Amino acid sequence: MITVENLSHHFELGKRGNQTRIPVLHDISFEIKQGEIVTIIGRSGSGKSTLLNLISGFIRPIAGDIFITDTNVTKFNETQFADFRLDNIGFIFQNFQLIPSMTAFQNVELPLILKGLSEKERKKITDETLKRVGLEAYHTHYPSELSGGQQQRVSIARALVLNPPIILADEPTGSLDSETEADLLNFIQQLNQEMGITFLIITHDKEVANIGNRSIEIQDGRLVQGGSAS
Amino acid sequence: MTGKDKFRFVRQNMKKSKMRIFMTVLASAMACTFLIVLASVGFGLHQTVLRDVMEEDAINEISIYGTEDEDGQYRNINKEDVEYFRSLDDVRAVSTLIYLNQQPEYIVDTHHIHANTRVSEFFGEEQAGIQLEAGELPSAANEIIVGYHFLQNLSPIETDEDVEVYDENGNILDELRYTEDIIGQTVSFTIEKYMGDDEFESKVFEAVITGITEQPAREWVEDTTVYITEEMLASIESYTETTKGNIYPEEDEYEQYYTGYDDVYLYSHSLPHVEALTTQLQDEGYYVYSVASQLKEINILFNIAKAGLIFIGTIAVLIASIGIYNTMTMAVTERAPDIGIMKAIGASPKTIKQIFLLESTYIGLLGALFGTIVAYIISYSVNFIIPLILEGVYGEPLPDGLKFSAIPWTLVVIAVTICLIVTIISGSRPAKKATKIDVLKAMRREI
Ligand SMILES: Nc1ncnc2c1ncn2[C@@H]1O[C@H](COP(=O)(O)OP(=O)(O)O)[C@@H](O)[C@H]1O
Ligand SMILES: [Mg+2]
Repeated sequence: MITVENLSHHFELGKRGNQTRIPVLHDISFEIKQGEIVTIIGRSGSGKSTLLNLISGFIRPIAGDIFITDTNVTKFNETQFADFRLDNIGFIFQNFQLIPSMTAFQNVELPLILKGLSEKERKKITDETLKRVGLEAYHTHYPSELSGGQQQRVSIARALVLNPPIILADEPTGSLDSETEADLLNFIQQLNQEMGITFLIITHDKEVANIGNRSIEIQDGRLVQGGSAS
Repeated sequence: MTGKDKFRFVRQNMKKSKMRIFMTVLASAMACTFLIVLASVGFGLHQTVLRDVMEEDAINEISIYGTEDEDGQYRNINKEDVEYFRSLDDVRAVSTLIYLNQQPEYIVDTHHIHANTRVSEFFGEEQAGIQLEAGELPSAANEIIVGYHFLQNLSPIETDEDVEVYDENGNILDELRYTEDIIGQTVSFTIEKYMGDDEFESKVFEAVITGITEQPAREWVEDTTVYITEEMLASIESYTETTKGNIYPEEDEYEQYYTGYDDVYLYSHSLPHVEALTTQLQDEGYYVYSVASQLKEINILFNIAKAGLIFIGTIAVLIASIGIYNTMTMAVTERAPDIGIMKAIGASPKTIKQIFLLESTYIGLLGALFGTIVAYIISYSVNFIIPLILEGVYGEPLPDGLKFSAIPWTLVVIAVTICLIVTIISGSRPAKKATKIDVLKAMRREI
């Protein structure tokens, strides 16, 4: 489903001519099969987010290739990557990333709008999805009127609404208390089992890492464990 | 994302900063109004002048008043020229007039008048579509038609010395006018001939009136002309033994001036034909006058003036566009986090760009719409109020149809196009900036 080959990345800081290079990822290779839940663990600053951002196309790698559903996404231009994300990848972010001026319904509906679906279809799918995450009573609530756990469920609904084969999550429980965290982890497992969605989840929390089929560990930008599927 | 959704999105976004959008629309509306009202003066005066010119002469008419012979000498238009004109494709009809070289006295029963006499080949007039006030064109050699004012200028032949014939305006008093139906009446007129040694001889001719010409376009023109046939001219000439019924025998060396037609009018199908024909005949050495050639110059002059006014107006629109640029830049900055999220979940740069371009275009369009409406209101007010003021100043009414400001649809199209182009240009940089927003920075609220 996701194959990363010899991926390396560094950032350049400072003005031109006086740049310092910050190496972040060194020669990372791993593979994730369809239907797996894989967690990426590692200390803060080890390069986990950078790895996920590379897979998402938010930044472009210095070297190496990334294949998602057998497509080499590193060759994509921005528009191609955007379309690809819309069709194939759902995102769950640590701080939810909901649009504050939109209601829960509108936030979840957004990918469907981008996809160009008709209003009727959108209403039906959005209703279903909100119901799925248990927010059928919160359609007209704005993010500021929802608890952290509810906001995260809105963002999950948004990630699910176009039925993507893959969901990427960067520290999804980072802003949640332990009880909501457990709920969320259960829900992820449920989605994985019922819908066969492949999950790639970043965490620095060993407990969260336990929900996965396996963990990939990164230390100082190097993959130290779990590179190949078992 | 469908166009409809983009538009709804834009509407939602605009609602979030109503005041700012309102001020921006106001500025572009004012600029658009300024542009239209300014240029409308050019359009209005142009229309007024054109109307004036069109009223004066028939628009499809070309007047030809001579040409040059082989030696470069001026000569009148002759029969061969007219035949040539008739052979041209663009020429619909040719009418000719020969001026009789004396002004005979016409007598109808008890009344008489001294009238100019013109010779016409009436079939040319018929082709040209001459309109008669009454009656019909002559069909026999001794038939004539008379000018519109012929009848009312017929004065009684015999009156008592002390009876006043004319009123204070110089018109013949009603009770002394000829009251019979003039059509079908027999007219007699006297042609004179010089016999030498201060001796004159004269002969009376007779003709029947079959029609009355239409009222002249200009109110102040008095037309008492009598139009006779070529055959009648021939019999007059055979009596006077001169061309065109000259009382005195001519001198041969001036032949090119007194032979040929005095007036020749070509009629074409439409203005472009007239223009083409005018140029062609000028190139062939004919002396030509047409309203079209005059119109061309008027049009060039006014088009330059209008372009100048539109240019000045465009400067106002450019100034307003700074406002749009500013508004859109702020909108992009404010919405950067949202844009970042949208890009992250799969909005393409193109979609983002289109949304912002749509917003600036919408602002421009609203501005142009309100601007146009206000411009129309101002234009009507100007056309209503300025004549009142001028009449107050000069103390007499202004001529009808005087227009200071006119807004034809072409001006609206030009102004709206300018507004839209300028807003799209001023909105394109902020829109481009929106597409360049870095997803990660935006989601970290770093923009
Ligand atoms: N945009 C950036 N510019 C410069 N350095 C960055 C940038 N993003 C991340 N880094 C650096 O890369 C390293 C890895 O960061 P990150 O991938 O966020 O780690 P993690 O998610 O594992 O905590 C850190 O040292 C961080 O300072
Ligand atoms: Mg991180």
